[in-house]
Amino acid sequence: MRETPLSSCERAFLLQAITDKKRVDGRQTYDYRNIKITFGTEYGCCIVELGKTRVLGQVSCELVAPKMNRPTEGILFFNLELSSMASPAFETGRPSELLVKLNRLLERCLRNSKCIDTESLCVQAGEKVWQIRVDLHLLNHEGNIMDAASIAAVAALCHFRRPDVSVQGEEVTVYSPEERDPVPLSMHHMPICVSFAFFQQGTFLLVDPSEREERVMDGLLVIAMNKHREICTIQSSGGIMLLKEQVLRCSKVAGVKVAEITELIQKALENDRKIRKEGGKFGFAESLPDQKITALKIEKNVVDTSNVKDKAEKIISESQPPSDVVTKPVVRAVGTAQIGEGIENTWGELEEEEDEEEEDEDDDDADIVSTSIESDKVTEKPAKKTSADIVISDSEEEDVVILQPEPQAKASSSQAPEEDQDKSPVRKTPHSKKKKKRSSH
Amino acid sequence: MAGLELLSDQGYRVDGRKSGELRKIQARMGVFAQADGSAYMEQGNTKALAVVYGPHEIRGSRAKTLHDRAVVNCQYSMATFSTGERKRRPHGDRTSTEMTMHLKQTFEAAILTQLYPRCQIDIYVQILQADGGNYCTCVNAATLAVIDAGIPMRDYVCASSAGFIEDTPLADLSYVEEASGGPQLALALLPKSDQIALLEMNSRLHEDHLDRVIDAASKACKDVYAVLDQVVRDHLQEVTALIGDRGSA
Amino acid sequence: MTWRARIGGRSLASSMASVVLSEAEKVYILHGVQDDLRTDGRGCEDYRGVEVETDVVSNTTGSARVKIGHTDVLVGVKAEMGTPKLERPTEGYLEFFVDCSANATPEFEGRGGEELGTEIAHMLYKIFDNKSSVALESLCILPSEHCWVLYVDVLLLECGGNLFDTISIGVKAALFNTRIPKVRVLEDDEGAKDLELSDDPYDCMRLNVEHVPCIVTLSRIGHRHVVDATLQEEACSLASLLIAVTSKGTLTCMRKIGKGSLDPESIFEMIETGKRVAKFLHVSLQNVLNQEESLGKKRQKIGFLR
Repeated sequence: MRETPLSSCERAFLLQAITDKKRVDGRQTYDYRNIKITFGTEYGCCIVELGKTRVLGQVSCELVAPKMNRPTEGILFFNLELSSMASPAFETGRPSELLVKLNRLLERCLRNSKCIDTESLCVQAGEKVWQIRVDLHLLNHEGNIMDAASIAAVAALCHFRRPDVSVQGEEVTVYSPEERDPVPLSMHHMPICVSFAFFQQGTFLLVDPSEREERVMDGLLVIAMNKHREICTIQSSGGIMLLKEQVLRCSKVAGVKVAEITELIQKALENDRKIRKEGGKFGFAESLPDQKITALKIEKNVVDTSNVKDKAEKIISESQPPSDVVTKPVVRAVGTAQIGEGIENTWGELEEEEDEEEEDEDDDDADIVSTSIESDKVTEKPAKKTSADIVISDSEEEDVVILQPEPQAKASSSQAPEEDQDKSPVRKTPHSKKKKKRSSH
Repeated sequence: MAGLELLSDQGYRVDGRKSGELRKIQARMGVFAQADGSAYMEQGNTKALAVVYGPHEIRGSRAKTLHDRAVVNCQYSMATFSTGERKRRPHGDRTSTEMTMHLKQTFEAAILTQLYPRCQIDIYVQILQADGGNYCTCVNAATLAVIDAGIPMRDYVCASSAGFIEDTPLADLSYVEEASGGPQLALALLPKSDQIALLEMNSRLHEDHLDRVIDAASKACKDVYAVLDQVVRDHLQEVTALIGDRGSA
Repeated sequence: MTWRARIGGRSLASSMASVVLSEAEKVYILHGVQDDLRTDGRGCEDYRGVEVETDVVSNTTGSARVKIGHTDVLVGVKAEMGTPKLERPTEGYLEFFVDCSANATPEFEGRGGEELGTEIAHMLYKIFDNKSSVALESLCILPSEHCWVLYVDVLLLECGGNLFDTISIGVKAALFNTRIPKVRVLEDDEGAKDLELSDDPYDCMRLNVEHVPCIVTLSRIGHRHVVDATLQEEACSLASLLIAVTSKGTLTCMRKIGKGSLDPESIFEMIETGKRVAKFLHVSLQNVLNQEESLGKKRQKIGFLR
């Protein structure tokens, strides 16, 4: 299924907001969304929520024969899948470019940086080694899949315990978890990816872009670091041109962020370890919040209606009566008419309209104008129109009424406006018209 | 391979270069007559062939048409005999797809695509022999091919790799140096404006050294730019001499 | 003359790079061929200038580049150790792979060139599928256990007509250039065999390519046939005959391609022409290869830089 395209006004809005250093969800430029890490009942299973982006990571192991050219090293295998659950745009079948990009980045970040000690995975040189397989599934896509995936992978690997193994001569014994406690993997370091999105040809950058921000970005820079400030991977993508200073600045920011996130992961692991030791309940079920409202029904509340009548009378007495509502249509051009106010008319408002005033109907003009925000020339005269000339054509179709635009009305007769009639030129403040709130609706 | 010293005490690398030296570059434009633009480039033992077709009408699905720009379509493939161990498939595996995307990204930034709306430019790169720095040689060869095809670009795109051993940044890594597992950086640069079109780094490198490594790579790119510029000018002289002779006859 | 032949009538894959010609151009070429004058001035039995260079890619066991007019082909041979086939335990074998790269034409991008590639590889398997082309016994190391497998990879870089001839010349030149390291079999006391490859780059085995056949394509245009057709001439010809001939004049394989039909009389004529041309081709090719070999180390490797 094709993704819903982003409309131009939404795109313009997002870009304008970013230029004004505002993000749609209220974060600052370098702020991450809330990260939540929960572990499952089995070792090696974890769900990471970065804002609303959710990634599930699962680590499993198997004894296999090693590769020919590396007989003393274990095998690591990473796989990220974008399930159709995450976004309707993801389809199963041919791997899309995004999938290849994410997978390659993940491989480079975790495998090439040697975060796991592969030598320790060797059981019998040349014969049997452990193959560690990390499967990541994207459950919900709200932007920044890369960061969430890397956090999930690292957390799952740290959480995982492999069965203990002993070798006597040629014989290899694998102990089940009941016989001997499973052994954690030896990790050298924890590489975490930090994504930077660039906008407006590299002038503005944001950390942890949300899905909307990702759609309007020019390019992405991913820096993977560990808490010792070693850079594991850098990857720039998209068509942006970077400068060296930008890259260095990003790496400094990344260093700070990675330290925070690593601490978070350590805390989560520590919590999980404590709970398991104490024998408390752990797992995904426990991580779902208890006090959440899951039903729409609430109890009846008592409402105090004692002084309602007084309040109502007060409001009524203070307000002014509404002005006459005139329901004659306003004619702009031949064949079009407007009833009521609202958006700017885009039909027939061509060159000849330059002189014509914009005339509006307005009711409740007086008391509402005071609340309107636009202070520039809100002397929107509620000029009232005379009735439109109704020209009955000679054709057989008697019901067809062709509305002709008024000749330049000098003075409007019906409604006596309080304010001066200001023949302001056409279409200068359509906004102010919109802001005239119709509280009477 | 444990005893292989990548940087000797006197500062010489395995193939006798100093830390900032590039391998020997030989290039030639206009190798094939049938393609719109073609170039062949040798950087040390790495040999790459780039061919450009276009700008022409979009082939295949019309859905890819962009109303205001040209579509840049790349393909990166390695000959099956190019690597030490024979490759099963020339293209279509993950690494080739990734390289294809990187090439596309690099050239979309450099080519003035606004001049050819609704068109497609094809860039095909073939590695004939792989000895380290595959991506960089491809980019350099493709730059020459695009210039040969007469497609306007913002600037030359020059690429070079860099590594870091024993506190010294190395420029232009060969296969042996890449396989040793140290940090490697690949950088594609537009030399005049110092803008980075693509930055890719693997393996662990401390943040404090990043500055020096990027500097070494940028300097190597500028050296490559000098060579490429000379190649283009020589080729142009050769071609105008041939045409000139015929014209004056 | 003895000849073993196999006649097939399949038409060549339509994915061959082709050029579109107008009727007037076709008639022009036809008339020219009638008078033994082709558009580039050649006679009907003349080849375009053939350029051959070996040892172009250094990390292969053998390689060659052949350029005929606008057709450019790069062939690389890699020797690897493998197990012999079950029905031939005392022989090694050859594996062919043809890659029509997108360089030749944009239609070959992605999987577009696969059809043509498999077609050409199939043809190569057929012509080498006899006892005398390559001495396969020399590739055997230990019967039923180890043997050399020669992976011949053909890379099609530019397509200007007459692919089969160019590729077969390339394969022969690459096989000539192949230097397989010598292997010694060491026997342990327990009977476990160990293979030792000699480290000396000059201590190697060469293949005898005397009986390797070359393909000659004869395209029928009008009432006459031409050798080494360009793309334009291929567009005019409705039927072609491919014959694989060794240097002695022995036919190892024959195939008819194209939508049109061939008269049996003309087939005989074409075969005679083909044998004549092939003899000449083999002689000149062998001369060039020997000459290149004699230059030895002093030869300047040009490759694509010229």
